[in-house]
Amino acid sequence: MNLAAQGDTWGIPGPAFLVLYFTVIISVLILSAIHRRVLFSGNRSAPVDRLGPQQVAYLNGGDQLAVYASLGGLRGAGAITGGPGKTLQQSGPMPAGTTPLDSAVYNAAGRRLRARDLTGDQWVVAAVRQLREGLEAQGLAVTPAKLKAARAWALVGALVVLAGVARLVDGLQNDKPVGYLVVAIVIAFFLTIMLLTRRRRATHAADKGLRALRQQHAYLAPHQSPSYATYGATGAAMGVALYGTATLYTMDPAFAADADVQRINAYNNSGSASGGDSGSSSSCSSGSSSCGGGGGCGGGGCGG
Amino acid sequence: MTTAYGVGIGWRPEIGGFVAQLPGLRFAEVVAESVHAHGDLPVGLAELRDRGVAVVPHGVKLSLGGAEPVEPARVTHLAAVAERLGAPLVSEHIAFVRAGGVEAGHLLPIPRSREAVDAVVANVKRTQAELPVPIALEPIAALFDWPDDELDEGAFLTEILERTDALLLLDVANVYANARNRGTDPLALLDRLPLDRIAYIHVAGGAEHDGIYHDTHTDAVPQPVLDLITELCARHRPPALMLERDGDYPSAAELTGELDAIAAASGYPRVT
Repeated sequence: MNLAAQGDTWGIPGPAFLVLYFTVIISVLILSAIHRRVLFSGNRSAPVDRLGPQQVAYLNGGDQLAVYASLGGLRGAGAITGGPGKTLQQSGPMPAGTTPLDSAVYNAAGRRLRARDLTGDQWVVAAVRQLREGLEAQGLAVTPAKLKAARAWALVGALVVLAGVARLVDGLQNDKPVGYLVVAIVIAFFLTIMLLTRRRRATHAADKGLRALRQQHAYLAPHQSPSYATYGATGAAMGVALYGTATLYTMDPAFAADADVQRINAYNNSGSASGGDSGSSSSCSSGSSSCGGGGGCGGGGCGG
Repeated sequence: MTTAYGVGIGWRPEIGGFVAQLPGLRFAEVVAESVHAHGDLPVGLAELRDRGVAVVPHGVKLSLGGAEPVEPARVTHLAAVAERLGAPLVSEHIAFVRAGGVEAGHLLPIPRSREAVDAVVANVKRTQAELPVPIALEPIAALFDWPDDELDEGAFLTEILERTDALLLLDVANVYANARNRGTDPLALLDRLPLDRIAYIHVAGGAEHDGIYHDTHTDAVPQPVLDLITELCARHRPPALMLERDGDYPSAAELTGELDAIAAASGYPRVT
């Protein structure tokens, strides 16, 4: 790569183009992160501490965990039990003060559904949708529209990748070295995929509230071996909501195994999801800055 | 301990959330060995302490009744935990849990001989020398008596307490269990004990198996134990009485009921 050589592709020397290219990548990342922050900020005055266990579970681990929180509550109340072939069965009356999701799960148990198939049951699906829409209206769950808006940045990313590819084609025709450029395009490609696929369930406001809830209910963490007989059905449901299905295995190992409850570690999930946004954008910018400072990176192994 | 704390409960991680929401609670006990001397406090314990609840470390592994001297590291730990919790006192058992380096994994009764009294007194004094606060000693339930007992339970305890100036942690469920299993009168023992030295009382449930009453700590507190509390409080009401439940935890409603029953039996206000 000669500086100021006559035959520079597009009249821009290779190193200058790489600097420009990485600058654009980093700018896209920063701008999209700021945009996400604004899009997903949520309603700060939303009363997270007054949410029920299933709502907390949805924010923490999605549809499946919301269903398992309901299952935990119903099991804690003695309303359901495990049947043959990993199915559920009703074992008592429907407890008082239940949610639409509880009714749906309880009725599904009446039809001997398997625990794993609950999320496919149309009544359960409808109840979870209702739950999710309520949370979206409160500014606690990210709406599909906002997620779509955030994903629009993937288009910008795709343009960056295309520009890189165009330069690559022209550079090859000019017989220029393209090792660094290929690396840059690959990085841009993966970052674009990330912009396209990254999801988010809880708004920042909700995440903050969840952290507070987790602190407030630290006694429900499975490693405390909480006494669910003492904390009751609500405690069991909140345990699932905040700490995942490990709670079901601690509370009632036989039932959890019989019903073939899927292991969902909500604590880690939410850790990576909430850390996800700020965390991964910072890890990306540091990643790309280490590559942008990336004569060093190229000098190592990416160069070719 | 001159403050009257009233009804308390043994704090255990399994029921920490229940203990935390008892509005009137002023007294709790935590197993000393479950608290790190310097690391994080168990979840919820700091909040309890900061709320002004007296949290008393209850040792189970010091082996005060052992023939060999108490291990200095264990005494240091107990003292450090007492400091951390700002405890008004600590407690331990008059029992041995190891001998010749072998851990029994259990609290074992010691013979009530003069020699044993000397050994316990020496160990208690070694412990007291390092502790920032008073120590209360708890006699343990025993299903049998050693053949070479020279002293009766009352004389044995009184002598140890007088020579060490330690406080007494009396387990009324033990008193009941021992008396019932030996066919003696529990009140007779109460009348032989220095009741004014009682720091606090353990109240636990038990169950009968094959004609022998076991102080299980995993069953409901039976009425005769509550009656014994009333008798005790009529003679000299201790500053605190606490529910000691160690497993098979019941519903919050049942725990609340047991705490209220202890309050009613002792005449202290409800904490629930």
